[in-house]
This record gives sequence, C-alpha cells and structure tokens, in this order.
Amino acid sequence: MAVPRPRARRVRWWKSKPFDVAQFTLLTGLVVWLTWRGAAGMEYRWQWHRLPQYFYEIIDGELLWGPLVYGLMVTIEIAAWGMVLALIIGLITAILRLSDSFAGRIVSTVYLEIIRNTPLLVQVSIFYFVLQPILGINNPIWTGILCLAFFEGTFASEIMRAGINSVPRGQWEAGSTIGLSRTKTYIYIILPQAIPLMLPPLTGIMVNLIKHSAILSFIAVFELTTEARNLIGDTFMSFEVWFVVGPMYLILTISLSTLVGWMERRVRARQ
Amino acid sequence: MTIRGQKLTLIDFVIFACVVAAIGYVAYRVENVLIYKWDWSAIPSYLFRWDEATGSLIPNLLIKGLVTTIRITFWTMLVASIIDVVLGIARTSSRLFPRLVSWAYVEFIRNIPPVPFLFLFYFFIASQVMPLLGIDDAIRDMSPGTKVVAELLFGPANLISNFASGVVSLSMMAAAYIAEIVRAGVLAVPKGQLEAGHSIGLSHLQSMRYIVLPQAVARVVPPLAGQFITLIKDSSLVALISIQELSFLAMEIAISEQRFFEVWIVTGAMYFVVCYSCALVFGRLERRIGVHRR
Repeated sequence: MAVPRPRARRVRWWKSKPFDVAQFTLLTGLVVWLTWRGAAGMEYRWQWHRLPQYFYEIIDGELLWGPLVYGLMVTIEIAAWGMVLALIIGLITAILRLSDSFAGRIVSTVYLEIIRNTPLLVQVSIFYFVLQPILGINNPIWTGILCLAFFEGTFASEIMRAGINSVPRGQWEAGSTIGLSRTKTYIYIILPQAIPLMLPPLTGIMVNLIKHSAILSFIAVFELTTEARNLIGDTFMSFEVWFVVGPMYLILTISLSTLVGWMERRVRARQ
Repeated sequence: MTIRGQKLTLIDFVIFACVVAAIGYVAYRVENVLIYKWDWSAIPSYLFRWDEATGSLIPNLLIKGLVTTIRITFWTMLVASIIDVVLGIARTSSRLFPRLVSWAYVEFIRNIPPVPFLFLFYFFIASQVMPLLGIDDAIRDMSPGTKVVAELLFGPANLISNFASGVVSLSMMAAAYIAEIVRAGVLAVPKGQLEAGHSIGLSHLQSMRYIVLPQAVARVVPPLAGQFITLIKDSSLVALISIQELSFLAMEIAISEQRFFEVWIVTGAMYFVVCYSCALVFGRLERRIGVHRR
C-alpha cells in the first residue's frame, strides 16, 4: 500500500524567514523610535557631540584617556583579579568539600551557605564597612575584588566539584589498580578529563564578574558604572551616557558569552 | 579522636587551627587596633518598638524593610511568571519572528549588568510609563477601604509607583533567567512523550497539558525554588533606586546611628535566616517530588 507522501507546501511570503527578520528589524526600529520620541517628549536636548571628550582628548598633540575609558579599564582589572582569586578560592573549597576531612567539609559548607544565602549587596557592604577597617585594606578596589572573588568562588567550586564528579568512578579505581596514589590519580587521570568540562562554565564566571562589578559603584570603586554616574551628575547627559555605557558592557559580556558557547560546542563535539 | 563516627586526622586539626587563628586575628584587630566599642543596644529597637498609643510592640524599620523585601519578591515572582508565559509561547513558536524577539530579550537581559539596567529602566522607562498608567491618580482617588488593602499588598500608598517600577524592572530581569529554566525543563521531557500523546489521539495542546507539562513541572520546580531565593537576594538591588526595603533601611540606620558593624551584621543575618529557611523548606519539597516521581 502506498503511503501518501506529505505534499511539499509552498511557503507563503508572510510566513517566510526574510519576512520574519524584516519584522524583527522593524520592531527594533520601533523601540528605538519610541525611546527617541519619549526623549523628545521630555524636551531632552541631545548632546552627542560632547561625548567623545569623555573617551579621549588630544591636548597639545598628546592623547589623554577620559573617565569612561578609565572606568572600563578598572572594570576589566576587577574582573581579571577577581577571576584569579575566585579560581583559587573555588579550588580550595572544592578540594575541601570532596575530601574525607571532617573539618574541611564543615568549613566549606559554612562558607558556601553564608555566601549563597545573603545578597551580594549586603556582602559588599559588610566587606566595605566591616572587614575593610578590620583587615586594614586601604584601597576600596581591593575590598571589591575580594568580595566578588568570595562571591564567585562559590560558583567556581560548584563547577569544579561537578566536573570532578562527572569523571566515572571506574577511572579512580583504574588509577589505584595501576598503583597510583590519590594525588597522582588526580593529576594524571582525573583532572585531564575534568578540566575540559569545566572550562566553558568557568569562563562564564568572567561574564558574571563583569556584570556584578557594577555593584561596586555602591562603595566608591571607580569602575565603569561609577564613572558613568559621576559623568551624569556633572553633565546631565543621562541618556547619552547610559546608551553608551550599556553597549560597552554588552560588547564585553556578549563576546565572552559567545566564546563560552563556542567552547561548549567544541567540548560536546569531542565527547 | 572521633566525632559522631568521623575520624579526625591531622589535616582536620590544621584546618581548625587556621579558622581559630583567623577569628583570633580579626578579634585582635577589632579590640586593639581599631579599639571598636561594640554597642548592640540600639538594634532591638529597630526590630520592634514599644508603641505608646496602642500599648503594644509594633515592628520597626528593619522588620518593615524585611516585609517590603518579601512583598517585592512575591510580586516579582508573579509578574515574572506572566512575562514567562508570553516568552515561553514565543520561544516554542514555529515562526522565526517570535523566536527572534524572545531570543533577543533573553540575551540582552542575561548580558547587561543588573545595576546599569536598573538605572536605565528606572530613569527612562519608569519616569515615562508610570505617569502614563495613571497609578498615582488612581491611588489618590481610592476609597479608604481599598487603600488599606492596597497598602497591605503594595506598601505605603505614596510609594506605590516607586514600588511598581522596582518590581517591573526586577521581574524583567528574573523572567529571562526563569525562561531558561523552563525551557530546559520542557526540553528534558523526551520527544517520544509528545508523540505518544499524538498517537493516542490527543491534540497538541492536550498532549502538552496532560503529558509534557506535568513531567516538566517536576523537573522545573527545584531550580525555580532556587530562583525564588535568588530573587529575595536580588531584590536588595532596588535599594540603589531608593525603594525602602531591608538593605536600603539598613543603609540609612547605619548612617544615622553610626553603627556600621552591628547594623550590617544584623541585616546579613536577617537575610540569611530568611533565605536559608526557604532553602530548607524547598529541599524537603524537592525530596517529596523526587519520591513522587519514582
């Protein structure tokens, strides 16, 4: 018996992909237009020409960077140092959690539960108002980096633990069968398999660090958001500044997110 | 040496020694270098105060702030769910246009830092949309009876439009994250289940309703519960746009009393108690659902 073949339907133009993309472009245009109309309705005076001087200025043939570029640099600096410290904290916590040590598991659990169950804003405040004077840190930027590192360290430890746990038990047993010690099994058998799995989500922490560094504007760390707020205070160009600072963050985070996505696909393809 | 059947080794003592040393160092710095005088006497009166008029204990700023925080979380969860229904329909659509819109929305929210987003939203959208909706006028014209109900639900009447913009911006952010959780849950239900539904003669909507969604819910509830705790924590961000929830009031009390150590430690503890007890309750619920599934 002949099975009736589904007839190939002709795609109508209003159901075609280009039309959908055109609709999407139109919607984006509409959002931009509404924003512009809203600004016009508030009798807002656009002053885009004043903006470049806050990126860079050329005085007597010398190039001077403006506050927005400095802010961006500080944000990247916070994210970079935060990443290094978060990895160290995460690694220590993951090792303590996976160890047989009773004290190790208590310490890591207390740390994880405290960080997980309080808001980042409160952590930042406690680091700034309580721990900074106690530990005698004289630069708020380091308070901020430390706080973010402890915050992201919980995620890092979770990723590392999951990565190590995802290596099948048989691999451990294989290690001890051929006479390797626990440490050597870690180094030669477990980590080489676990690290490729961990890399994409660990890079994702970098995205989070950039996003969360904006909270440090609350404690007078001169990163991008603080510089933007100060600039708005000085010039009242709130629309222009936010519409430039937003995309600056987006360029950083989206390029990192794309990298994470690419890495994930590669890891999946290799398995 | 053993504790509850656990053997203690040298490493355990080293770790304990490190912790004790760290606490000792902090205590030394506080007592001898900063010469800080602890004074907890002002804190209880900020939790509850004695009201002369009614002759009873009534909640004061910190507890009121906590109530506002929970209120914000509740409404945010509700509004975010509504946005999510729309997002979910758009994401599973067979047409490219709705998928493009929801993709752009989720990617935008997930990549923009919350703080700039809050400011952007608060100053530009809220300042234009809120007057347009006429919330302020509606509140002014309310009868006293409705006002009591509204205050119970949304907090002080004069701050409702402020409260609303905080809730809307938080829910826009939460919705993007919840959308991902729900999508993962629906995708985790094997395709065969949907086909099984079709083959016993159910329509697409019916198979979704009776076969796919009940299975997806069991997978979605645990991460959603986690999202609720995240929301309690993230609601502290709206302190930056002057909404009077726990963090904002803590900030004000700390400045007016000049007792930064005590106020922030108490505030942190309050958040911890609320979030941790939620986590315990959700953990128990999750185990129940797990049993049910098996």
